[in-house]
Amino acid sequence: MTPESKTKSNDATERAKAFHQSDLMDDTELRVKIDESLASAVALFFATSLFWLLLGSIFGLIASYKMHWPDWLGEYAVLTFGRIRPAHLNTVAYGWVSLAGAGALLWMTSRLTRIPIKWGWMLFISVLLWNIGVAYGTGAIIFGYSRGMEWLEFPRIAGFIIALGFVFFALPILKTFIHRKVNHIYVSLWYILASVVWFPLLYLTANFGHYQGVVEAGMNWWYGHNLLTVWVTPIGLAMAYYFLPKVIGRPIYSYYLSLLGFWSFALFYNWNGIHHLIGGPLPTWLVTVSIVASVMMVIPVLAVAVNHHMTTFKHFHMLKFSPTLRFTVFGAMAYTAVSLQGSGMALRSINEITHFTHYTVGHAHLGVYAFSTMILFGGIYYIMPRLSKWEWPYPSLVKWHFWLTAIGVIIYVVALTIGGWYQGLDMNNPDKDFMESVLNTIPYLYLRSLGGTMMVVGHLIFIYHFALMVKRAGPRRFAPPWFKKPEEESAV
Amino acid sequence: MNLPLAALLVVLVAVIAASIALAAFYWAVRRKQFSIRDLNEGAYTIFDNDEPVGKPQDVMFDDSRKQNKKQ
Repeated sequence: MTPESKTKSNDATERAKAFHQSDLMDDTELRVKIDESLASAVALFFATSLFWLLLGSIFGLIASYKMHWPDWLGEYAVLTFGRIRPAHLNTVAYGWVSLAGAGALLWMTSRLTRIPIKWGWMLFISVLLWNIGVAYGTGAIIFGYSRGMEWLEFPRIAGFIIALGFVFFALPILKTFIHRKVNHIYVSLWYILASVVWFPLLYLTANFGHYQGVVEAGMNWWYGHNLLTVWVTPIGLAMAYYFLPKVIGRPIYSYYLSLLGFWSFALFYNWNGIHHLIGGPLPTWLVTVSIVASVMMVIPVLAVAVNHHMTTFKHFHMLKFSPTLRFTVFGAMAYTAVSLQGSGMALRSINEITHFTHYTVGHAHLGVYAFSTMILFGGIYYIMPRLSKWEWPYPSLVKWHFWLTAIGVIIYVVALTIGGWYQGLDMNNPDKDFMESVLNTIPYLYLRSLGGTMMVVGHLIFIYHFALMVKRAGPRRFAPPWFKKPEEESAV
Repeated sequence: MNLPLAALLVVLVAVIAASIALAAFYWAVRRKQFSIRDLNEGAYTIFDNDEPVGKPQDVMFDDSRKQNKKQ
């Protein structure tokens, strides 16, 4: 039986009707029109993002194995750690998260503005340029032409190709927004608009190149952290604010709080980058300002956490029914965890232990995988059936995908958090050899490879399932995304 | 020596970014995005007649179980 929350639903629906005013004549028809207006483009964004997910996670896995088998594949220059590891970072950041996130943002923009996407043809140019940029940049890293700055390893030309691709992605969003049929800007749309305006500024400034020495390091981490601020996190939060209430069927617990969360997020988050350089040669005041802002992030994070938790509260049983909800709730919980952990790591007393250890790597994966990637998976599970008009054929594969990736990333993060903490204590202990601090991490590194392998197997299952869906292979299922019930279909 | 240009650029970008945020906030207040009515109703933007409040979406696993039973 389909679970239903009954209290106040009639009253709430009436309020929703009143709010949409004249746009309610045929909601299903409108939804079909919206989905058709961007089906091919968004499916392309998703499909190509999955290619980068697979390639990026294989790079990541090779790098992880090399941490405990240092000589493995060491005879090939292109497969050495110094190339594979940045290739992993860049393909998952600019390939997987960015392309999948862009697809999801486009779909949500159209839904939230209640009109089919405008200038949809630009999206094909965008996806093409974006992929060319990522392919060129990844090739450059693998063949030894990296710029040598974390998050900015792609050659400048690849950066500009991606930036151009972003312009062709942003313009349809802005045009659609201008012509929106809903006056109110839903909280997800605030996050989307912020990322669309701020990301190009950030990316072009970072790739401009007139920096040297300490200023370059400062710019590097201003950029590195702000990539999360204005791109990765807004994608995840916009999706969580849309999918949690939508799937459960109840509005956000406190809409006031969600907007307060957005504006405090916009105010504090972009100052955080310099906490990556605690102990570095930057002016102390600059680092301190960044630490203060990092701690201030507790305000928007708690606003989001309270809202997400209270929206889902008393509806946790629905996790049994919805793949989107499973992935999104997992991601939302990870967001709270990673953000509070990040505020803690910005404190000097904690940072002096965790800096330069595997702890930071665990933190990064708690953010970009457990939070961002899991929410993206959940979003794709929701969006794709509506675009392709074909439900996911095998629910069991979805379960395998969820449990492999969820358990995999938990093993990964827990192992590196514990191992990294001890590594930091060992490194700070003058009575211990440096090599001792390295050797002590090896059991944790094996665990990390185990978690990573499970995640990659999960990706393979997901990609196989995605391919089946696109080919319309496997059993045909009639789940809610279908506009006609089976009996209605047979009657036609 | 590129330092002055770099510093100028970073300050300029910061000013532009902050101005955009402030302008967006000012515009939103003027357009009554944060009026009491909108804040009360805004959370319902994602619902409509066919996907109303109280109707869960994406009920995949429940659906498959029902179908298996039918078979």
